[in-house]
Amino acid sequence: MTRMIFDLQTGETPKEITGDVCVVGTGPAGVTLALELARKGRSVVLLEGGGEAYEESSQALYDGAVIGHGHIDVAASRLRQFGGTSGHWTGLCAPLDALDFELRADIPHHGWPITRADLDPFYARAHPYLDLGPYRYDWEDWRSIVPFPALPLDPTKILTDVYQQSPPTRFAEKFMETVRAEPKIACWTHANLVDVTLADGGDAVASVAVRTLDGRATTVRAKTYVIACGGIENARILLNARKQRPAGLGNEHDLVGRFYTDHMTIETSMLLFRDDVDTRLYPTSLKYDGAEILMGLKVHPDVVKARNLNNNSAFLVADYGDAVYSDDFRNYGWVAFSTMLKTFSRGHVPDRFAERTCDVVDDLGSVATGVYRHALRRVLPEKPAQAFRLRQDAEQAPNPDSRVTLIAETDPFGLQRIALDWRVTTEDLLRLRRTHQFIGEQVGAAGLGRLQLGVSDPPDPDIAYSGYHHMGTTRMHADPRQGVVDADCRVHSTKNLYMAGSSVFTTGGCANPTLTITALAIRLAEHLAVSA
Amino acid sequence: MGKLTRRALLGTAAVGAFGLVAYGGGRAACSFVPRNHPDFFSLLDIPPDGAVARRIGEGALAEASLPSDFDGLAAAMKLRPLIAEAVATECPTTRRQLVQDQCAADFAEGRCVVIDGWVLSETEASLCAAKLLRPSLI
Repeated sequence: MTRMIFDLQTGETPKEITGDVCVVGTGPAGVTLALELARKGRSVVLLEGGGEAYEESSQALYDGAVIGHGHIDVAASRLRQFGGTSGHWTGLCAPLDALDFELRADIPHHGWPITRADLDPFYARAHPYLDLGPYRYDWEDWRSIVPFPALPLDPTKILTDVYQQSPPTRFAEKFMETVRAEPKIACWTHANLVDVTLADGGDAVASVAVRTLDGRATTVRAKTYVIACGGIENARILLNARKQRPAGLGNEHDLVGRFYTDHMTIETSMLLFRDDVDTRLYPTSLKYDGAEILMGLKVHPDVVKARNLNNNSAFLVADYGDAVYSDDFRNYGWVAFSTMLKTFSRGHVPDRFAERTCDVVDDLGSVATGVYRHALRRVLPEKPAQAFRLRQDAEQAPNPDSRVTLIAETDPFGLQRIALDWRVTTEDLLRLRRTHQFIGEQVGAAGLGRLQLGVSDPPDPDIAYSGYHHMGTTRMHADPRQGVVDADCRVHSTKNLYMAGSSVFTTGGCANPTLTITALAIRLAEHLAVSA
Repeated sequence: MGKLTRRALLGTAAVGAFGLVAYGGGRAACSFVPRNHPDFFSLLDIPPDGAVARRIGEGALAEASLPSDFDGLAAAMKLRPLIAEAVATECPTTRRQLVQDQCAADFAEGRCVVIDGWVLSETEASLCAAKLLRPSLI
């Protein structure tokens, strides 16, 4: 079998690598794009800065500074290795809502140049990549299958929102051998993109320079280039490419790195239901029809617009009086333990095995508690909770001041590192407060219970944590003065340079981004298969 | 002590029977007379006792534009149709249901307040306030 994953750090370094399309990054966007292009007969050069597994020296290239809201990180939240950050994502998936793509008069900079309908076919095709069930996210599609009722709330006010749970798919585990066996893909590891050279005239990329940490260097030439390195690194690469564009590639209008958006992970507000209210649909994921689904409460889009709210989906976290039902044992040790257990059960050895084992050893008490409680839950009678906290990855309105910038400190390649200035605004938190208040009013109107708000007025920004969903830094917009890439993900000012991944999100909505990242990659492959 | 005679027994029975007939007839007759006096106090058993309800009552008086005297608050609440009906109802279960229905109607029509973080209907906040303002019965 031809071995099509090469290590730039070993063997003879080629003077030049060529292909139809050069894809930089092997996360969900890069791998999906490469496989789709290869299946359409395009030769792909797939570059990964890290190795096939975790390496500290490579991971350290992600170090940077946090200068805005503090509850975020720029290094450990990402993974610089084959498979990218899919190596530790949690797997929750949903498409963005139609509302997320719309222009909104009440929220500046809101709206994509494409619609949800444009993405629907690609969302459906993304599902197998992420090991998800059927492409169905409307509660009406599940109502007859799931044996538990939704809360009897006015459907013109509150919707039952459906998410699906990926195992989660680890792209290295699932696709590394597929990539290795794919003759149209030449994948190079330890191949760090360090420079982009424009052709004479300056409106097209002629080549990219690639180096290893131990000093080997080569050049990649392709007809088309796609940068798919994540929401922070995509901006960093463009901002550092100043040899021919002093402000950075694609940054003619000072937009690269701006509009950084994340999901505000917040668990707050308490819903108390009457004793006779059936809440079994909500607290845990349910497995039906080949899917693992999790239901939340979403304010109807018409109400969201009328009340000037951000989009939000609130999941109900049960507050059990009995500790057996509490999940407070979930920490790094437990996550490592359950990840290893799942991976072994699929017949694979987990990556980062030593690190995960040490996490388990460090948190042995929590792991033992988790195992004990899970065992007890199987034998004890079910005890439904009537009190729930609302957990959400809340949307932020687009904000040009929330941004990734370069700092003076450089990495071993001489590229400037980044500072992340994530802004959590009072207005976004107050919108969440109003969202919860509306849910409380509707629960009250249905006579189901009462809600106690957890978002104060004025709000405390410390309740918001990053969802580690880095989005928006090379946003999509039809107007070059308002976005870095066009509706095809092409950098406006460059003929053959494309961006893939969550950096192109114009708005973040409230859905976890990986499904949209994968769908956009398939869509981009369709476009490039014709145009590249 | 006198002797219990047949005449005395018949007389006592007649008086008793007359009393029962008079009482029954009176109750029957009175059922046709419109009245409005099962009092507002009966509603005050609905909010729970305890610190939370007390804080809500205090918050309602401080933050919401409620009458600050019991009579005024009671009169204002009786303007709500289901509360007026509850006040005129003797059955505690029906009364509680009517209050809950009024609360639900408040929520549906946007008559809500936020007190101590709780998203509440104006009716239940007012009831908590009324419980605080309730005059001593001693």
